[in-house]
Amino acid sequence: MEHLQHHPGLLYVVATLLPLASFLILLLAGGLRAAVRPCRESNGTCGAIYGMLGGDTPRKTGAYIATVAIGLAFVCCLIGFIWHAKDTHHAHDAHAPAASAQGGHGVNKALHTEEHRWAGRMTWAAIGWTESDLQKPGSKLEIGYKIDNLSSIMFLMVTFIATLIHLFSIGYMADELQPITEDHHVHTEDGHLHRRGRFGRFFMYLSLFCFSMLNLILADNLFQVFVSWELVGICSYLLIGFYYERQSASNAANKAFITNRVGDAGFIIGLLIVWTYIGSLNFDDVFRQVRAPKDSHGRPVPLTGQVVRGEPKLTDEKMPGLEVTPGGYDVLLFRKAPPPGSHYHPPEIEEVLPVDASPEWYEKNPEEHQYSTMPYWLLVVAGLGIFLGCVGKSAQFPLQVWLPDAMEGPTPVSALIHAATMVAAGVYLVGRIYPLLTWDSRLVIAYTGAITLFVAATVAIVMTDIKKVLAYSTVSQLGYMMLALGVGGWAAGLFHLLTHAFFKALLFLGSGSVIYGCHHEQEMPKMGGLFKKMPITAITMLIGVLTIAGTPLFSGWYSKDAVIAHTFGFAYVHPRHGILFLLPLITAGITTFYMFRMWFLTFTGKPRDHHVHEHAHESPRLMTIPLILLAICSVGVAWGWPVWDAEASALEAHVHHAQHHAVVADFGAMLNDTALPAGKNEDTERYWSQKLHGSAGMLALLAAGLGFVFAFLTYKSNVLDPADAKAQFPAVHRFLHHKWYFDEAYSVLLVRPALAVAGWCSAFDARVIDGFVNRFASFSVWIANGYGKFDNGIVDGLVNVIGNTTYRTGTWLRHVQTGYLRSYVLFLVLALIGLYVLLSYFVSLASLG
Amino acid sequence: MIDSEYDLILMSLVIFLPALFALPLCVRWIFPRGSEEWMRWWALLATTVTFVVSLFMFISYYYMPKQQAAGELPGHSRSGLLNARGDHLLADELSVQPRKGNNWVARVAWIPKFNIDYYVGVDGISMPLILLTTVLSFLALLASWNIEKYVRGYLILFLLLETGMIGTFLALDFFLFYIFWEVMLLPMYFLIGVWGGPRREYAAIKFFLYTLLGSVFILIAMLAFYFTDIHSFVPPAVAQSAAEQLKKSGATQTEKETQQKIDDRFRNSFDLVMLQRAGRAAAEFLSASPETQEKMKAGNPAYAQDFFKPAFQIAMFLLLFIGFAIKVPVFPFHTWLPDAHVEAPTPISMILAGVLLKLGGYGIIRIAYPICPWAAETLAWWVALFGVINIVYGAFAAMAQKDFKKLVAYSSISHMGYVILGIAVWSVGPKSQYWSWGMNGAMFQMIAHGITSAGMFFLVGVIYDRAHHRNLDNFRGLYEPMPLYGGISAIIFFAALGLPGMCGFVGEFMVVLATWQYNPVFSILAALTVVLTAAYILWTLQRVYLGVNPAYKDFVDITPRELLCIVPLVVLSVLLGVMPNLLLSWMEPSVTGLVNTLARLPGW
Repeated sequence: MEHLQHHPGLLYVVATLLPLASFLILLLAGGLRAAVRPCRESNGTCGAIYGMLGGDTPRKTGAYIATVAIGLAFVCCLIGFIWHAKDTHHAHDAHAPAASAQGGHGVNKALHTEEHRWAGRMTWAAIGWTESDLQKPGSKLEIGYKIDNLSSIMFLMVTFIATLIHLFSIGYMADELQPITEDHHVHTEDGHLHRRGRFGRFFMYLSLFCFSMLNLILADNLFQVFVSWELVGICSYLLIGFYYERQSASNAANKAFITNRVGDAGFIIGLLIVWTYIGSLNFDDVFRQVRAPKDSHGRPVPLTGQVVRGEPKLTDEKMPGLEVTPGGYDVLLFRKAPPPGSHYHPPEIEEVLPVDASPEWYEKNPEEHQYSTMPYWLLVVAGLGIFLGCVGKSAQFPLQVWLPDAMEGPTPVSALIHAATMVAAGVYLVGRIYPLLTWDSRLVIAYTGAITLFVAATVAIVMTDIKKVLAYSTVSQLGYMMLALGVGGWAAGLFHLLTHAFFKALLFLGSGSVIYGCHHEQEMPKMGGLFKKMPITAITMLIGVLTIAGTPLFSGWYSKDAVIAHTFGFAYVHPRHGILFLLPLITAGITTFYMFRMWFLTFTGKPRDHHVHEHAHESPRLMTIPLILLAICSVGVAWGWPVWDAEASALEAHVHHAQHHAVVADFGAMLNDTALPAGKNEDTERYWSQKLHGSAGMLALLAAGLGFVFAFLTYKSNVLDPADAKAQFPAVHRFLHHKWYFDEAYSVLLVRPALAVAGWCSAFDARVIDGFVNRFASFSVWIANGYGKFDNGIVDGLVNVIGNTTYRTGTWLRHVQTGYLRSYVLFLVLALIGLYVLLSYFVSLASLG
Repeated sequence: MIDSEYDLILMSLVIFLPALFALPLCVRWIFPRGSEEWMRWWALLATTVTFVVSLFMFISYYYMPKQQAAGELPGHSRSGLLNARGDHLLADELSVQPRKGNNWVARVAWIPKFNIDYYVGVDGISMPLILLTTVLSFLALLASWNIEKYVRGYLILFLLLETGMIGTFLALDFFLFYIFWEVMLLPMYFLIGVWGGPRREYAAIKFFLYTLLGSVFILIAMLAFYFTDIHSFVPPAVAQSAAEQLKKSGATQTEKETQQKIDDRFRNSFDLVMLQRAGRAAAEFLSASPETQEKMKAGNPAYAQDFFKPAFQIAMFLLLFIGFAIKVPVFPFHTWLPDAHVEAPTPISMILAGVLLKLGGYGIIRIAYPICPWAAETLAWWVALFGVINIVYGAFAAMAQKDFKKLVAYSSISHMGYVILGIAVWSVGPKSQYWSWGMNGAMFQMIAHGITSAGMFFLVGVIYDRAHHRNLDNFRGLYEPMPLYGGISAIIFFAALGLPGMCGFVGEFMVVLATWQYNPVFSILAALTVVLTAAYILWTLQRVYLGVNPAYKDFVDITPRELLCIVPLVVLSVLLGVMPNLLLSWMEPSVTGLVNTLARLPGW
């Protein structure tokens, strides 16, 4: 316990490991149950164990274990969050005067101890014999944890939503509790498929997912993130394919994992570049090397926090060096951190620094003056490679195709994995590696986000499956987050991630409640008029819709406004990139339109399918309570004081504290941020985004209002008829209905060529290589048969050399196989004769010579 | 005696125990006709005992550094280095008062006339492979329980095969190595040719021809090395203790005569440690400037031999490399593998994929690279290229297969490509750090692939026993009737797919980490292949396990015996994936030591 007080960060490690423990328990229990199933009829131990584990009827115990584990994890995170908040508060309060007195050392020290309390690492794999070997760059892969404001709030969000979704699932997955359950989507010869219920397996997968997701947030290094990245991917695969009897589900699962692997290949390439040039995958180590440090008194200097570039040039001592120039070809890497109290001055423009100098030079100079370089474009590629991983995971253009299909999974899974947490991991990672990203990489990110949010929103208009609408909406919202990060709105993007997690989980669970109430009907054209049947679901979903639309005072309003303000500020400073503001603005209107379309189609109007409507019912309390809790969060999670001030959100302020100083360095200071010399503020993106926050908000509100009006006119008051629009623009409708033809294009461009190449490889083996081998073989057999009459005595003699055993087997095998065997043995023998003859020949040569 | 020769005894036991156990099986009055069940138990006992002995060996090896800390052996950090221990042993043997330590290299003169020794030794490179062999032999024998045809012959050949494999890993004398290499070939040939599937004869002769070709190449290289005079590269300490011994014993009178005797003793050698020394000398000589070369030649006439000519080095390297590459197998010498696997019975497939392929990689690491380092460095790019071709080509070819076993066989080719690539990323100086990652990754990948591929072949065998076919398009829906089997298959296949947290990931990741600094294009290709790997493995899982298939709904789930075969592999694949240090901590010093000797670091 005392240990925990000294290292409160371990609370988060415990929180991460709790779901793992639950997973292992469920895995072993499930494995044991399956192992004893064949002998379940017996009265012995087997039967007893089988009965204890639930017998033919799946037990609820597994769900309870998983829920308790994630619930406890939430408690851990809550305690950790409070402690951490206290700690950071202390560090800022107590050391501010000390810092000014001691010239910054106090802050360093305080930050150091604070880091020690909230971080830790250990070696996972290392290469090298001695301690000094292990100090070299590129010598060890580590795993570790580090908690900052961002990860502490992410932990809280993930565990909270996950706990609610576990609870919801106990209700939603009740069908799986039957010994035999019916799957209406799979038809066999004797009607619908009947299969065993698999309640426990669902919660086992959920637990594994929770562990992987928390591990991803916990990680203090790219390696561990990559590991978790793949693990959440496999959980997503398993859960999308939960109803694996359905062809569509297993296809969707494969598509999800393989598409993600395309991104992961990029991720690996990014890792390789970072590893090769920087020699570490630890976030702090990497950022410290890429970004110019403060001077040894902790004071910022002009280049602080920036990527320092330069051109190769010889130093005065004729050593290879680098002249610091803006826009140079190479990037300067800072090998060692300046120790406090040293007289370190960071490089200045036009200064020529020695890089990769001789060992003698290093002996003369202190460590903090050791620099190396890497090409700038490789740094861009590294950032984009890792971003490609994020594109895959967060379903961004052009890898967005998997997420809508992923709706084949059970709805709670869609809410947890494919809306609130896993898909947001891509955004989270972009936020984490932000200092590694250069201006060019970020522009790519911004455009990717902008294209994604627009494309997905347009498709969402024409979808009729309630979950597909939400899926495209998720893709679109993730696009907003990416865009925000790309244009320098670091806190805004991650803020939107957090609010979105709540309201999108709410919307998905709401849709789950609708689907459950309508007995697994997902098509909106068959719904309508469900408000009276399921009022709690309808109202909570309306709150979700209002939130995503950006209605003032709902949490979505704060975050979306912040995002749009940042794009506005960016577009104002860089008018060339004005589209980065226009697209999200237009899409804000589209978003409101399709979300209200969904709500109106589902809950209002006349019932369109009486069969569905008659049997519809409100969901049990186990499912509505999570809805209500999430609705409350969706409204209030972003509130600050004053509530009506869009910029006063406490949540955003919390996230903002975790911001790396590179963000400030690259996009200018906030008005109240004095990290940079004054005077530079006037022309920065930051400055204008704050300045224009109000007008951006008004514009967004206007767009949203227009969207609502159109939705109301079309789907509520029926002034406009959607069929008219469809008839007027059939080509547009077809285009959108086919989701911009991405699937078709990939099938033609990638899948079929890959299969064709695979066929060629296989045919090459069979025809070319084996053709040669076979001809060679028949030639040899022909020769061997020629020698078939060879004296048997030689054969026998040599077989003795090989050893009696083989001889016995060989002669005995002769009875077994007639014909060819003789020649095979002969081969063998010939080989050994060859060996013998060669050897004796050489030996005789040697003894002569 | 037992005390001082503990290591020799243990190593010899591990090698010959299986063969010794096979002897009673040959005698009809011990195991009469009809006692097949007893024979199986006897053979199982043999593999169990061998495994336990190898475990003992491992434990003693693992704690060897402690002895060294007490000053018994040289250099704590060099404990993993076979070379150092080999030299030490030699000097020890020849010194006036031999003090034999249990340093896990042991030598007994075998054919003194030709300087052929029974010379065996263990280091971090061979030890994990030996453990892999003994574990897999045990599991494969368990998997052999349903072999009904000529059980006696099968078991005898199986045990003989195990002796051959372990012997190859332990041999430090090239001649001995070659003998074991050939001993392994024979039983394998019969095991495929007699107990195999319908096209067994074709597969067996193909396997045999290919491997024989490789053996001939290795044989030529071996003889060429033998006839190179390497006496001048004997370490001074060794030469000195030899001279002292001779003088003391009064065998020689004059200084010159003594020298002559010593030179004769070392003139022609199959000693791998000595040959590696000569190989490094050749690399040093060949990388020197022409003037220096002249000077070196003047100082030591040995440098004028063929062995120190570039063409010779390259030719020998190619012979050795191709010889071993056939076993790996490397494109385009790989087509024996799919056929051999498809026809071989399940346990033999396990051994074939699990151990035999590793012998190729082991040969490259132990013999081809250290003896011809100069040529290896010169041709490193080509070797790496073939590694990448293996990775990509194997993955594509796997995707096109319809036969389950063939698919697994091609995935083996793809995965073994990482081994070749990891070995090949030759880098000198400070960058040798990265090469170390590659070499360690290659070793790790060999072990990981041994575990996963054996597991995959076993799982295919399980389903073949029930469905009696292997056509991927005709399975579907096996998860529902066989949930345990399905779950285990998923774990093993994910391990093969390179999922983090499983063993397949570690080796691959280490190899690609090492590759970028050598050649970015290669590493990008290797990284992109993860997409193909995911595609063919997930597609297989979908076609075999997912969906509905009423025809197979009455299949019985995996039986306890089968469970016993596969569970150790599942446990190992997770354990090594989560804690690679379990293996890396004692394997790495040897591998890094090897890299350091080859990377021409100062001080080596």
